[in-house]
Amino acid sequence: MEQEKGRYLYGVAASESAVRLGPMGIEGCDVYTIPYGDFCAIVHNCPTEPYQSTDEETVKRWVSAHQGVLDEAKERFGAVIPFGFDTILQPGDEATSPDQVVKDWLKGDYERLCSIMEKIKDRDEYGVQIFYEPGLIGRQIAEQSQEIQKLKEEIATKSPGMAYIYRQKLEKVAKAEMEKLADSWFKDFYGRIKPHCDDIVIEKTRKADGDRVMLLNFSCLVHKEKVDSLGRELEEINNMDGFSVHFSGPWPPYSFVAKAVVSIKGE
Amino acid sequence: MAIDIREDNLKHGVLGLVLALVEIIRDALKIQAFKRIESGILSEEECERLGQALMDLDIALEEIKEEQGITESVQAVRDGLDDIVDGVIDRIANPERWREETKVGS
Repeated sequence: MEQEKGRYLYGVAASESAVRLGPMGIEGCDVYTIPYGDFCAIVHNCPTEPYQSTDEETVKRWVSAHQGVLDEAKERFGAVIPFGFDTILQPGDEATSPDQVVKDWLKGDYERLCSIMEKIKDRDEYGVQIFYEPGLIGRQIAEQSQEIQKLKEEIATKSPGMAYIYRQKLEKVAKAEMEKLADSWFKDFYGRIKPHCDDIVIEKTRKADGDRVMLLNFSCLVHKEKVDSLGRELEEINNMDGFSVHFSGPWPPYSFVAKAVVSIKGE
Repeated sequence: MAIDIREDNLKHGVLGLVLALVEIIRDALKIQAFKRIESGILSEEECERLGQALMDLDIALEEIKEEQGITESVQAVRDGLDDIVDGVIDRIANPERWREETKVGS
C-alpha cells in the first residue's frame, strides 16, 4: 500500500455513483470512481511518481489507455471533464487518506467544476484545420494583379542581374498580396464557423505537408445538435478552389477545460 | 531526453546552423541592396552588378545545401528561429498574456 498513495486522475464525471470500471487503466490498473456531491472522480491507485518513459511506444500505450478510460466514462456517465495525462493527486500528510484527498479536492473545486460541466454538457471538441494551396492561389493573384503583370513584362526586357532584382520584387509583391488575402479568408471562415460553435480556441498553425499552408487551426466546442450544420459549412469551404478542410473529432473537450488543470497544479 | 550525437549527425547540425546564419545575413543584405536600388542612387550598371552578385550568392548557397544534403536541417533551424521570434513578438504585442504567465508560474 505504501507504493500506492497517489490517485491518477482521468477525469471528473457528472455522476454520484461509486463504481469499478475494471482493469482498463494505464498498465492495466483498476479504474474506479470516487464520488462527491453530484460528481465523481475517475481514478486508479498509483505511486506518487508521474508516469514517464523515453520509449515512444510505451508513452503512446499509456496515452491511449488514458483516452480509452475517458471514452468508456463518457459512454457510461455522459459528460466527463477530461484531465491531462499524468495528473496525480497525493496526500499532503500521513493522516489523510488518498481517497479523502480526492474528495477534498472535488469539494474545494466544486463550483468551478459545476460551471465547466455546464459548459461542456452535450458538447464535444472538434478540430478544424483549413489549408490553402499557395501555388494555385498565387497563379490566380498573378492573373488579377496589374502590378504583377507590369513587373512580369518588365522582367522580360531586362538583363540577368536586373531581372533577378525584379523577380525578387515580384515575389515580395505576390507574398504581400497573399498575406492580405489570407487575413481576409481567416476573418471570413471564422465568421462562418463561429455560429455553429459554443466556443472556439484559436490554436497555433502548424507546418503542413506537401504544397499546402495551414491557414487556421481551431479547437471548437460544438453542441451535439450543431455538428451536422458545422460539417455542412466546412464541406462548402472544402469545395472551394484551392482550399481543403481537415475536420476531426469528437474529442474530449481538453481545450475548454485546460485552465482548470493548470490552477489545480498550483493549489 | 538524451541527445544523440554521432559524427554525421553533428556535421549536419553544425553545417545546417552555419548555412542558416549565412542565409539570414544574405536576406539582410538583400533588403539593404533593394533599398539602395529603389532609392535611385545607383547607376544602371551598378544595379546590374548587384543583382548578378546576389543571384550568384543564391545559386552558390543552394548548391552547397544540395551537395551536403542539409537543405532540410537549414530549413529546420530557420523554422525554429521563426517560432522563437513569433513567440517574442506575440508576447510584446499582447501584454495581457504576461499576467497569465506569471499566475501560472506562481
